[in-house]
Amino acid sequence: MNSSGYSPEYFGAVLKKTAALVLGLLLLAGAMAQAGTEYWQSNTIRGKVVAATDKQPLPGVNVSVKGTSQGTITDVNGAFQLEAGENATLVFSFIGYRPIEVPVGSRSTIDISLEEDITKLNEVTVVSTGYQEVDKRLFTGSVVNLSSAEVKTDGTMDVSRMLQGKAAGVSVQNVSGTFGAAPKIRVRGATSITGDNKPLWVVDGVVLEDVVNVSADQLTTGDPTTLIGSSVAGLNTDDIESINILKDASATALYGARAKDGVIVIKTKRGRVGQPIVTYTGNFSSYLKPSYNSFNMLNSGDQMSVYQEMERKGLLNHSDVSRGPNGGVYRKMYDLINDSYNPGDGTFGVINSDAGRREFLNRYAQANTDWFDVLFRNSFVQEHSLGISGGTEASQLYFSTSYFNDNGWTIADNVKRYTINARGTFKLSDKVTVGILTTGSARDQRVPGTVARQIDAVEGGFNRDFDINPFSYALNTSRVLTPYDANGKREFFTRNYAPFNILNEIDNNYINLDQLDLKIQGEVGYKISKSLRYDFIGAIRHVKTETQHSVREGSNMAEAYRADGSAVVRAGNKFLYYNPDYPNADPVVVLPEGGFYNRVDDKMMSYYLKNQLNWTHTINAIHAISAVAGQELRSVDRRNAFNNGYGYQFSKGGVPFTDYRIIKQLLEGNFNYFGMNNSYDRYASFFASGNYAYRGKYIVNATSRMDGSNRLGQSSGARWLPTWNISGAWNIDTEPFMEPYRWVDFLTLRAGYGLTANAGSATNSSVVFRSGTTPRPYLYDNESQIVIESLENGDLTWEKQYEANVGVNTGLFNKLTVTFDYYRRSHFDLIGVVKTSGIGGEGYKAVNYADMKSRGIDLSVGVPVYARGNWAWNTSVVFSQNKSEITNLRNEPRIIDLVFPDGGAMQGYPVRGLFSVPFRGLDGRTGVPLFTNQDGETSSNVYLQSLNTENLKYEGAIDPTITGGWSNNVKYKAFTLNVFFTYQTGNKIRLNPTFKGQYSDLDAMPREFLDRWALRGDEQYTSVPSIPALTTLAELGAVYPYNTYNYSSARVVDGSFVRLRTVSLSYALPSTLLSSTGFKNASISLTGTNLWLAYADKKLYGQDPEFFSSGGVAMPVAKQITASVKLSF
Amino acid sequence: MTLAIAGCDDFLSKEPDNRASLDAPEKISELLVTAYPEAGYSLFCEVMSDNVEDNPSGIQDPLNADPYFWREGTTTSQDSPENYWNGCYTAIASANHALEYIEKSGTPELFTAQRGEALVARAYSHFMLVTLFAPTYTGTGSDNVSPGVPYVTEPEKVAFKNYDRGTVKSVYEQIEKDLVEGLPLIDDKLYVTNGSATGVPKYHFTTAAAHAFASRFYLFKKDYDKVLEHSNAVFTSDVTNYLRPWNTTYASYSANDLAIAYTNSATPSNLLLCETLSSWARSFYVYRYATGANKFLTMMQRNPTWAEYQYEYSARYTNAGVYFLNKYREHFVQTGVNSNTGYPYTIVPLFTAEEVLFNRAEARIMKGNYTEALNDMNIWISTRVVNYNGMDGVWMDKLAETYPDKKNSRDVALAGLLDMKRVEFLHEGMRWFDILRHNIEVNHNVIGGKAEVLKGNDLRRVLQIPREAVATAGLAPNPR
Repeated sequence: MNSSGYSPEYFGAVLKKTAALVLGLLLLAGAMAQAGTEYWQSNTIRGKVVAATDKQPLPGVNVSVKGTSQGTITDVNGAFQLEAGENATLVFSFIGYRPIEVPVGSRSTIDISLEEDITKLNEVTVVSTGYQEVDKRLFTGSVVNLSSAEVKTDGTMDVSRMLQGKAAGVSVQNVSGTFGAAPKIRVRGATSITGDNKPLWVVDGVVLEDVVNVSADQLTTGDPTTLIGSSVAGLNTDDIESINILKDASATALYGARAKDGVIVIKTKRGRVGQPIVTYTGNFSSYLKPSYNSFNMLNSGDQMSVYQEMERKGLLNHSDVSRGPNGGVYRKMYDLINDSYNPGDGTFGVINSDAGRREFLNRYAQANTDWFDVLFRNSFVQEHSLGISGGTEASQLYFSTSYFNDNGWTIADNVKRYTINARGTFKLSDKVTVGILTTGSARDQRVPGTVARQIDAVEGGFNRDFDINPFSYALNTSRVLTPYDANGKREFFTRNYAPFNILNEIDNNYINLDQLDLKIQGEVGYKISKSLRYDFIGAIRHVKTETQHSVREGSNMAEAYRADGSAVVRAGNKFLYYNPDYPNADPVVVLPEGGFYNRVDDKMMSYYLKNQLNWTHTINAIHAISAVAGQELRSVDRRNAFNNGYGYQFSKGGVPFTDYRIIKQLLEGNFNYFGMNNSYDRYASFFASGNYAYRGKYIVNATSRMDGSNRLGQSSGARWLPTWNISGAWNIDTEPFMEPYRWVDFLTLRAGYGLTANAGSATNSSVVFRSGTTPRPYLYDNESQIVIESLENGDLTWEKQYEANVGVNTGLFNKLTVTFDYYRRSHFDLIGVVKTSGIGGEGYKAVNYADMKSRGIDLSVGVPVYARGNWAWNTSVVFSQNKSEITNLRNEPRIIDLVFPDGGAMQGYPVRGLFSVPFRGLDGRTGVPLFTNQDGETSSNVYLQSLNTENLKYEGAIDPTITGGWSNNVKYKAFTLNVFFTYQTGNKIRLNPTFKGQYSDLDAMPREFLDRWALRGDEQYTSVPSIPALTTLAELGAVYPYNTYNYSSARVVDGSFVRLRTVSLSYALPSTLLSSTGFKNASISLTGTNLWLAYADKKLYGQDPEFFSSGGVAMPVAKQITASVKLSF
Repeated sequence: MTLAIAGCDDFLSKEPDNRASLDAPEKISELLVTAYPEAGYSLFCEVMSDNVEDNPSGIQDPLNADPYFWREGTTTSQDSPENYWNGCYTAIASANHALEYIEKSGTPELFTAQRGEALVARAYSHFMLVTLFAPTYTGTGSDNVSPGVPYVTEPEKVAFKNYDRGTVKSVYEQIEKDLVEGLPLIDDKLYVTNGSATGVPKYHFTTAAAHAFASRFYLFKKDYDKVLEHSNAVFTSDVTNYLRPWNTTYASYSANDLAIAYTNSATPSNLLLCETLSSWARSFYVYRYATGANKFLTMMQRNPTWAEYQYEYSARYTNAGVYFLNKYREHFVQTGVNSNTGYPYTIVPLFTAEEVLFNRAEARIMKGNYTEALNDMNIWISTRVVNYNGMDGVWMDKLAETYPDKKNSRDVALAGLLDMKRVEFLHEGMRWFDILRHNIEVNHNVIGGKAEVLKGNDLRRVLQIPREAVATAGLAPNPR
């Protein structure tokens, strides 16, 4: 594994990245040396190696004398010089090119042009671990190498999303498509029950720290913090040169106690020696507007007939509806009946007769509003990226900059991003090299205003006040409502006792997010001796994010604080202030003017330092030994600060008008209007690794690392953790007995076993005290308090896993490549929340006692199906399977903890399993759904907080057990067509919760409602519950069967899908056409992303199987069409 | 390597977040703010008692139904016995962490008042636990056999620890030791804050509150001289000034006024208040098993004064037929500024002047000092009866006429006392403690079913200790 070493002629002359490879080839060449081959006379041979296609010199080509250990490498001009006898044969080899053997004869000059090796062209043969560059044939771990060309999807901004279906063992779920939100990425499945299971991102040798810690479960909340959840959102994908995904314990060994969830290593581009090359990429995309055709919503006519049934059942009666907090057309009608008497001419807006009411409602019954049309648009997204690369032997430079502008798929969002990247590599002397790397990005984003969502454990469900997410709105708002009235003015209905119009709300309630991200990195390399080298990397990264939530006067959210029209409103409006000093007075308005200006600032400062020594030594060209040892320090400070401004007057020059009582209300409710939280991560690590290769055939590797972290708390006993790994590889194809099997191009067997870890979610190796204020109702009773958050846990330790991996890499017939890995993982010391005796003073403790097992298969196959003449067709399939089972978890979940869409953890089930309340049909008298309840009885009364979960039905895993992709590349002359499918299966999905006990005249209903129970006997034909009559609701009392129905077995579907993720057609302009323009290369392409869901469970009715419709800022991944231009000169 | 690791320890000693550390004397005081059980016992104690009956149109909830049938609870949420168990031990943990810090500080003399509060608070939580989860103290040899509850005197530092229940006698001894040692150390000045938070001392064991606790403890321990001593120490002025002005000020109060006054720190009657994470304030009048019209009337009519209590006029009722006195007001702490969900807090008076007065009266009865006992009772009556005049007071003959089945003066006086006490503490769960101490039989009716009876020797009088305490701490469960 540790074959980094540098020959003096080579070092500094060519790119550092190929150094390890070249050495590896040298070792191989050496290993092939057989004793006894001699030559009598030696001459100096000079020559130059160029590429056959463009006649450009090729630096770094390995030139060796066949049968000896002698060899050299071409310099920056492709030139070489070596001593060889007349009988000798020179072997020229270079990655991606077909090797050539040339007998020397009497020549003293040999010029060679190397042909590209088409079949191996895409195969990156160097593995970058972030610590080392290793020849893939000497690498013993399980890794996926992807070149930027393989990963890049035009028009996709976030590199993490591009990985979907591309790498075996890596599953990517786009739980939200909003810019900046991270997809759910798992490398070989989940490894922790309570942890975040996120892989570690490493960019140019430095760990990329998250700006905020967003847990896996938080990703699906739609809360504003998810917008800064993706750590790679600031990375310009055009800067990426390659991605290495380190999967097993052997591959990640050098990351030790942070490696449990896999490591994704990104290398960015560096300057190349030669004339400056300018590359430009322009992407022009459009996100396609969604349409009701793909969803099963009731049209306005059907919806109105449902309302009429509700009216007949007494659910939309005049007095209740006109006094309720929310209302649509019925509310409007009743208000007009009540208030629109015109004393001048004695007329009413609506006459309270059957005919008058029908006439009023008729307009709305025919409205059939297309909310997608109102709120969405075919957006225009442009992305420009410019890169310049060039340099001399002594210095190479790479600059790039990019601009991204999305004017918004909805009328509520837009985003701009700018990036810059500058990198210089300088050779100060034969011994010293220095690199400086600066990357920066700035983001300016607008999203609809939202507040964090809440779990309602009593009724069961989530709620989010003032949600104006356009996607949720379009799906949940009745098509009866109209955005504009008959005169073309915005039409308002009622929410929270205040007027509401979605267009008005989007204009007046929004979040602006600004992010500035700067990284400065320095690298120093010093060659101490021929075989010993010292490397230093230091990096500073500073990220500032400002989230400003503006709620302007005139918005529903601000006006709701002012709704106090009647005693009923005052009693019902929770945004008014009940003053305990006047116990008998009605609640009062405490936001008389203005709106809210709420700010959240997130700041992250990270420092990284690495010192490393590399030693390589070869004995008789047979034994190649290398070792690496080093030390690393990481420090991350995060600060989250918030400040809520009350009464900010946006329309009056920003002067605040604050009623002191709103502050009093907050304080009495035990809230503060500002606050700040800090968190500090400190890591110190020491590592050492040794590698031995015998003739390049047998490779053995051992790695050990010691990690220390402050995350576990003050106790120094828990702080340190040693991890280790042992692995080996056998290059079978180099064995003599493989000689007859020429059709085997290469065949490597790998095996590894080791321990990796992560710090879990608990930090109480010593007792954790938390300061606070007492929750008492009167300010004159309140005092500061210190709460014991968690007791000391002397046994606290890291979450760990042993992993065994066996893998094969093979290439056959010069065509087929197969990589197969099988792994078993035993996770232990996982943090689980356990119910205790309570006697220590902590009822539930987070303790390292849970165990889990997982196993899986990673398989990728590449086949050049057809290649003749101008035609070529390559296909590749990626297949990953991962199964997990919790083998020990003594938690005690309530029913409600297990039935939500994101599932729960239970012993004997996968890390997150979906459970359901078993549905038992409909009640024959009322059409109310019946279930098997916590006591095993058939009833509509299910106590969701019950601890008796044995009657729940297990549906399946939340995470897919099988994921993958299928990519096809068809080439005809200069045209390339790529068709890429992704697929997943093995998981279950909960349908959106559309059923409620009581609907309002705002609610939109899915088409299932047409099949709802209406009359006695219907229960034999349908499982769609009735709309309960008022009398039925009264009978039910404090029982919520309709909410339970959303969490029942009737509302679960299969999560399998096949999606046409991308289809793209590109055309490379022929060089004959370009020669007059000055461009070296030019290509254009058209890409369609996410266009077709080829297969999914029919019962989803348009619900995206990946997307969690949680409102807030969450949006599904849009259908997208992108036109791209790539130029270089 | 070892050297390098040692060098890093400083770097790694950075606290990972904004956690607090105990680095100043006032931090110990702040830690002791949480040495009081933030959990409610009122729900299950009240529902186990004979103050409630079946009101079929009330709301059904296992939290309410389980104690009515003296069943082991199926839920562990707030207001369940297990939640109270955890709340008491959490309070004990705060006290123990404070005591450990004081001991290790090297300057315990700086912390005498804090030490006093910690010891008394620790004794209180253990007392409540042993009362509810172990057989009632008898003063006989059985106390030496009956299993108690673990008496915890040091912080728990490992994930799972085994504990020993000891015996009722050993637990009582430890309570008394902590109480006797802690009470004299208490200094009320410790609780006075600089700011406008004038009500803070009422949330701490002041000298008066500690004496009130001692008065209850010795009543259970049947040490009546001590009851008198500590009860008298509570009242430093005329007892009437301490009592709730039911038949005067309260009589004109609205439901909201009453709820605020009842749990207010400015009310002299409230000797110790505690904020409890409990929805009792919203649930005590809505449940199925609550004080219905029949029960309320019966209780009001078992009235040895032969007059009318003000309660009858201040009571309200729901359409499910539940009668209630609006003693509580919920303090709802939302999880977010604009949120619907949150934590309901109920402020509960843990000790009141009325209880101390009743304790003194009971001790006097037990000592045969009836005149003074009746005198105490009449002080209370004077503030409770509508249009009070001297004829509304009680005397021995009147009591004997009220309770013809009682044989001797002691039983007659006691019957009168317990009935008064029962109405005084309606909804507060205090009746259950009298039922325990006096082995009172409880009869729970079931509409459309057979009544459930809890005899004097019924094992279900002792709450079952939580399942996990049996499973993970090695405690023996209570027999059933």
